[in-house]
Amino acid sequence: MKALFTICLFFLVNLTLAQTTIKGIVKDSKGETVPGVNIFLKGTYEGTSSEVDGSYELETDETGKFILVFQAMGFKSQEFEIDLNGSEQTFNPILKETINEMTAVTITAGAMEASDEKKAVVLRPIDIVTVPSAMGDIIGAFQTLPGTANVGNDGRLFVRGGDASETSIFIDGMKVGNAFGTTASNVPTRTRFNPNLFKGSFFSTGGYSAEYGHALSSALALNTVDIPVRNQGDISLLSVGMGYSQTLVGEKNSLTATANYMDLSPYQAMVTQNFDWERAPYGWDAEVSARQKWGKSGIVKAYARTESGGMKIWQKIPGSEGRGQLVDLKNHYTFTSGSFKQIGKNDWSYYGGISYSNNVDEFTLDQIDIRNQNRVIHAKAVALKGFSDKFSLKTGLETYLFSYEEGLKSENLVRDFNDLQANIFTEADYYVSNKLIFRGGLRAGHSVLADQTWLDPRFSLAYKFENEGQLSLAAGQFSQMPVEELRIASPDVQNTIANHLILNYFLTKNGRTVRAEAFYKDYKKILTYEGAQYFYRNIQQNGTGYAQGFDVFYRDQKTVKNTDFWMTYSFVDSRRKFAQFTEMVQPGFAPRHNASIVVKHFVSGLKSQLGGSFAINDGYTYTDPNFAGQMNAKTKGFRDLSLSWSYLPKPNLIIHFACSNVLGRDNIFGYQFSPTPNESGKYESLPIRQTAPRFIFVGIFLTLSKDKTANNLNNL
Amino acid sequence: MKKHTLIIALLMFVATFANATNEAYEKAMHKEIQAFGKAGPVSEVQKSANAFARIAEMNAGEWLPDYYAALAYANMGFRTEGGLEEKDGYYAQAKKHIEKAKAISPNNSEIVAVEGYIVMGELAADPNSRGQSLSGLAMQTFGKAIGLNRQNPRAIILMAQMEYGMAQFFGQGPEKACGLVASSLELFAKEAAEAKEGSIDPLWGKGMAEEMKERTCK
Repeated sequence: MKALFTICLFFLVNLTLAQTTIKGIVKDSKGETVPGVNIFLKGTYEGTSSEVDGSYELETDETGKFILVFQAMGFKSQEFEIDLNGSEQTFNPILKETINEMTAVTITAGAMEASDEKKAVVLRPIDIVTVPSAMGDIIGAFQTLPGTANVGNDGRLFVRGGDASETSIFIDGMKVGNAFGTTASNVPTRTRFNPNLFKGSFFSTGGYSAEYGHALSSALALNTVDIPVRNQGDISLLSVGMGYSQTLVGEKNSLTATANYMDLSPYQAMVTQNFDWERAPYGWDAEVSARQKWGKSGIVKAYARTESGGMKIWQKIPGSEGRGQLVDLKNHYTFTSGSFKQIGKNDWSYYGGISYSNNVDEFTLDQIDIRNQNRVIHAKAVALKGFSDKFSLKTGLETYLFSYEEGLKSENLVRDFNDLQANIFTEADYYVSNKLIFRGGLRAGHSVLADQTWLDPRFSLAYKFENEGQLSLAAGQFSQMPVEELRIASPDVQNTIANHLILNYFLTKNGRTVRAEAFYKDYKKILTYEGAQYFYRNIQQNGTGYAQGFDVFYRDQKTVKNTDFWMTYSFVDSRRKFAQFTEMVQPGFAPRHNASIVVKHFVSGLKSQLGGSFAINDGYTYTDPNFAGQMNAKTKGFRDLSLSWSYLPKPNLIIHFACSNVLGRDNIFGYQFSPTPNESGKYESLPIRQTAPRFIFVGIFLTLSKDKTANNLNNL
Repeated sequence: MKKHTLIIALLMFVATFANATNEAYEKAMHKEIQAFGKAGPVSEVQKSANAFARIAEMNAGEWLPDYYAALAYANMGFRTEGGLEEKDGYYAQAKKHIEKAKAISPNNSEIVAVEGYIVMGELAADPNSRGQSLSGLAMQTFGKAIGLNRQNPRAIILMAQMEYGMAQFFGQGPEKACGLVASSLELFAKEAAEAKEGSIDPLWGKGMAEEMKERTCK
């Protein structure tokens, strides 16, 4: 036993015999010195850090062969074999930078991202829902962003000269069919989905990734909250309805159930309306959202929403007396989706899911009963592999099942179509450095109904300057099948095709964001036809068009204390031959000049956030049949000033007041003309106006939870 | 018999050796904690962070080295004069270490408190745009840390800072925050009285409480 200890002792003593000095200077690939590098002998306590000038000196009593490691934030680690023998040794390593997800360049062409987690974002999710003119509608907020047009008699999202059907909406990557509520013509609609479902959004006005298809102009990807932070109940009492939401959160899962009821009758009884309502819009909705974390990094989300509502409205017919035509509308809608995300081994990750949308509209127009049903099933699976920090490849498979049926119930006439579409896409990201990235993608698709196969190439790149500003370029081809109402009349129609070219400059620094973008887009194979819905005739696919222009966005959260404001100007020159037009015209939904300003100011003394937004454009084109030509007239410009006041008397209570069109301007979105001229040979007209001079919204939001500071500011 | 002697000898050897590594570990930690306590500028704190990271590499089963490395990186985030990207870089590094510490010692009040401290740093780096999303998370995390150990003065003083920020935002008085400051100071005193010489357990944060008492709760 003694001998054993002696051996041990000898062994230990032997270790301390010689002292070796290792020294040198650490530099990066540009030749600049790197301070704070962690330098150590693997498997020992021996180590040091480089000084401000990159130099280091490590003295060690160890002897023998070791591995000397250099480690620093933002650089690849380097290791050297070293033989410690008492003589001084010098190592001057040159460290290579790693691609840092947080500081590296990102492609911002066409994109406007709202996220709490990422960089190069235009807005935070909370900013979107507190836009005064939005009235809690997520799309209302996007209408204050560059590239969009405010089309007040429609309410949907119109991007860069494209019509509303050209924007596809995705929730957690899954396609949402009929994302907007059904409405009567010229009565604006809203998105069905509550803003507080989402933690972030990616809104692209062109040049987007090969992952998004079935969208000609724009993709809007909304990402839902993963796991809510706490158990809570949310009560909302609104001037137009009420709702309750309960959230239960477990260690690895959560469940949120929500129910809302909405009825505009009491409100319309108090506030003057421009429209002749027989029954004000009403509706209820219920939704359940469940989350389960899975393994170390996986999450599965399930969501189901069902709703039902309706309205009855008298719509005047130009040139005739009386209340006009009675439109009785009922809508039933269901959306369910399941999605998953999983990070695998060896830099693989996977995501995907399946969604189902079912929309049923029942109209009664005078004596005619109409029933339309639109169903979309979307399934998607994507695998992502990072081959190195510089190169990654994303590949996905998607199938869509589009199923549409329209029927004149009173005539016992029903027709339908089903289309199965299969898509495959692949996209490669290559970082040349932290400053330069290339992205190339391909998207292929096949439609069974149209018997068409297509291939859409996409490409983008971005370069980041020293001052953190970055320049992005994106180009690509985008395909989309025409809308269901036309496909059913002509099932063999093919894709409409758009080509995008976008140049973008983006800089965000110290609470200020500048974004400028120029774009060119051309359209091929647009549908033209005669007649109206259910009676389309002579459908052809030889329409063409283009849209070009630029937009600028400036946001400042710094200059004025407690104040956040942004302003946008978009110029769009768009002409297309489409619908009933026989020549290229400026569409009525594409005003040339669009601008908006949003200001939010927090007043601590009043415990209030005050907001204002102002939107203006140069008017909408329309065809006046009393004169020659198509789209030969233009309305006066649209103007809207909206104000809001959110009062937070207690951290868990919010009282929100908002008013649109405070100045009461009589905005006109176009004119309807009588189908035949009157006795004096003149076509009589009626202006398409706002539903009411103003919309006034009052809401009380109360959050019940153990954490008294929680509130549902997101609901505003 | 001989066989037994050998086994005993081997066991003793292993025990001595284990003890030696443990001593080396504690000695190294003690030395670095002292240096960390005195470290002023970011460049010095970086050296401490590096040293803790090295000790962590050597002692995969100990949570304290990663805990201190995370704390050092969080402090760098708070102290640096640099921009948002630089701050976020430090917080990202801090998160890496705190995740490792959590994996070694789950449901540890001290670790959860530093986790909240990192969130607080990210919040302070850009309060305008992160306030809404992170203030709730920070308070929730400190609440969890307090729930795990009601005697953790660091969790309490950090919570006091968040409470004070919230109270200011909503135009309320600092009473609640100051109550927390007072109870944290009591716990700090108790902790100091009980701490053993050469302890490597977390003992920081008293200065923060004293300063807050001086500034806000007079």
